[in-house]
Amino acid sequence: MSDLQLTLTNTAGISTIVSFWVFVIANAFARRKDTMQKIGVIVTMIGFLTLTVAIVDRGIEAQRFPLANLYESLLWFAWATMGCFLLLEKTYGVKQLGWLASLVAATMFLYGSWLPSSQHQITPLVPALVSYWRQIHVPPLIVSYAMFFLSGTSGLLQLWQAGRLRSLACAVIALLLSSLAIGLGTYTPIDSYWLQILFVGGSLLGVGLAWWNLKSINMAIANEEKASLYDEVSYRAIMIGFPLLTIGIITGGLWANHAWGTYWSWDPKESMALVTWLSFAAYIHLRIHRECSAEKLSLVAVVGMLLTLLTYLGFNSLGFGGLHSYGKFK
Amino acid sequence: MTQTVTKEKTPETKPTPNKSGSFWTPWASVKLTVLLLTLIALTVLIGAWCPQESQGGIQKVIDQFGEETALLFSKIGITDIFHSSWFLSLIGFLTINMIACSVQRVFPKVRSLKQVMPYLRSEAICKLTASKKVILNVHPETALHRLAQKLKREGYTVRKDGTSLTAEFGKIGKLAPTVTHIGLLSLLLGVTITSWTGFTGFQPIPVGSFMDFESSEHSKLWIGKLPKWSVKAEKSWREDYPTGDVKQWYTDLAVVGPDGKVLKRQQISVNNPLTYENVDVYQSSWGLDRIVLSFNDTVRVLNLRPMGKLYAAFMPLDEKTILLFSVRDQVKPLRVFAKTDGWAGPKLLTEIPLGGTAKLGGVDLGYQKVFAITGLQYKCDPGLPITYVAFAFIIAGVMLAAIPHRQLWASAKNVDGNNPEEVCELSVGGHSMKAKRAFEKSLNQIVEGLGNPTHSVTEEKVNV
Ligand code: HEM
Repeated sequence: MSDLQLTLTNTAGISTIVSFWVFVIANAFARRKDTMQKIGVIVTMIGFLTLTVAIVDRGIEAQRFPLANLYESLLWFAWATMGCFLLLEKTYGVKQLGWLASLVAATMFLYGSWLPSSQHQITPLVPALVSYWRQIHVPPLIVSYAMFFLSGTSGLLQLWQAGRLRSLACAVIALLLSSLAIGLGTYTPIDSYWLQILFVGGSLLGVGLAWWNLKSINMAIANEEKASLYDEVSYRAIMIGFPLLTIGIITGGLWANHAWGTYWSWDPKESMALVTWLSFAAYIHLRIHRECSAEKLSLVAVVGMLLTLLTYLGFNSLGFGGLHSYGKFK
Repeated sequence: MTQTVTKEKTPETKPTPNKSGSFWTPWASVKLTVLLLTLIALTVLIGAWCPQESQGGIQKVIDQFGEETALLFSKIGITDIFHSSWFLSLIGFLTINMIACSVQRVFPKVRSLKQVMPYLRSEAICKLTASKKVILNVHPETALHRLAQKLKREGYTVRKDGTSLTAEFGKIGKLAPTVTHIGLLSLLLGVTITSWTGFTGFQPIPVGSFMDFESSEHSKLWIGKLPKWSVKAEKSWREDYPTGDVKQWYTDLAVVGPDGKVLKRQQISVNNPLTYENVDVYQSSWGLDRIVLSFNDTVRVLNLRPMGKLYAAFMPLDEKTILLFSVRDQVKPLRVFAKTDGWAGPKLLTEIPLGGTAKLGGVDLGYQKVFAITGLQYKCDPGLPITYVAFAFIIAGVMLAAIPHRQLWASAKNVDGNNPEEVCELSVGGHSMKAKRAFEKSLNQIVEGLGNPTHSVTEEKVNV
């Protein structure tokens, strides 16, 4: 990795941490809030542009499309999260989503930077990945994952604005426990069996309790207008992410058919992407059905986010095998 | 600025009455769709978590969970979940659900594409979910003209009649459910055709031998036909990078008819299959199979085993001593080692080029031939063209679903007829089912961009 590459990536990483704090602190200053949030957006924009240059530079240095291992894919994920947030912010002015988007991007940067240095190095491709299909298949998937994360986090904001504080707390616990399982699975030798229980148990318990507590409302903070705004942002993010996931899965099938003569082989990661796809199809139909409250839909979006996390990072770190595994780093 | 927010809950789209409705209507429920999609997702999740017998055999399941649990999983069907009657029934129900729902309520929606938006009067516009009224110092027609220009720039299709205007954005998005569902149904059709008539298989064949399709795999419900012709591997070889790593495998194949006539010849390599009568034959693995050696005048054929990057054959001489032959590829010399009790490792005795001989003790050892074995994967997928068209439809459909349909109405009228300057009241309103708040925001921007309104009559009235 060149010095320029390192500086650009670090600048982007630091900018996500700075924007996170600017967005958070903005909430403490009622009078300066607008200005500070604008600064937060500008910092995110700087991070996004720097990371764009860093990724392009990595591609030039490696003389290949720079999306071949987990570290590179995390850079793309952070890039897509920032970019998609800026897009949603431009359409809806939802600056409050900024600290969550920055938090997600910063977490991905930290997760990536703690990976073994072999992941940071630019290495040649294994024969299975030498194909132009790689650049058609992977980027839409990563951008769709980022969109689903933003949809889930908008769902959390919706729950907050709808005064469903207890449900929100339970949903956040589900997310924290499942992220903990992934972190432990990546960096420690704890048995996969326990980690799977932590991920699945934590998600089921958290989301179950969140659903159970939907009736408990804190009227003092409920703001129906803002809640409906976050509901729509969450929905729009899914409606953009869903076609991208569809394109990613189908082009993966085309690639597989081209290389192995079969477009679907029930490989675990393939199956998991299908699970995510089916869940978002269920979400879309729940919306068509129109009998589901916005709060329930927000929780479904959070479940979608958990499944996305499982598809994207869970399979490596929780000990599921398959063709697509990046392997464990221990 | 006043904003009123009302929660809107439109009832579920009612199915259009249908003569056969009594049977189909329960099947056309979207609630059932959500239930089925959730159950299928859970089933696939279990299939992703538990290793599947069709991929690594039951041994992989035993390795992961221990014998007792593995057998239990096998008994209840989760080690082959994608062929279980549970999974196939779910897919079956989803298919019926999708056909019923598509025919009853999704496809008829296409008709709404032809509907032309009627012009609305100012009072009706003000009742729309999002609306705005402004007073402008221009002639009503000028106001509408300006609005029309602005809307066109934003991508709306505009219709204008005197002092009324309608505009629509993303009408094509209404095709989304129809296109997606046609795609999904075609996908099911394509997959069914393949499953009922297609077949797949893998066979390693030594060079010089034939491959037929008798051992191919296909579904239980099968009405297809296996080809009468077979494939002969005439020659097979490997190409390496200068580093010694494998670059490519090649095989010369001949398609041979039942009467022994050669019908087609082709060289295949990874990613470059042979296609004959709808069957594709892929190069999928490669190895060396056997060597032919001569010991003085006696010829012996020894089978090779892969050992890392090399292939080796073993020949015991007596109880303690063993001869070991190692080859790397079809070009490099044969290396002959001996190993006996008491030696730390095998000792290299000699190297013999292909076609050459060497003296070993009192024996003339000749390295006559080496034969490759080529791993051929084949498949016949008659549903593939339909599946590919289905993929295109599904992608197009879900992309269309991302377009939020927007409808907008406007009406302008002259107010204050005594004023020498033109004064017009412009009412603009509309709705978007999929992006209400974004529509509201853009409506405000559009109206604000119309010039200097003298004032807003109802500053902003938004029902969401
Ligand atoms: C894997 C399965 C399915 C997928 C991926 C899927 C996908 C979609 C998509 C993308 C839309 C468009 C949504 C929009 O415009 O916002 C849609 C609409 C719809 N789907 Fe499905 N669908 C599936 C199965 C089904 C099934 C089995 C039914 C049967 C009941 C169904 C009923 C409907 C209905 C009623 C609409 C809405 C039509 C409308 O009101 O505009 N879908 N579907």
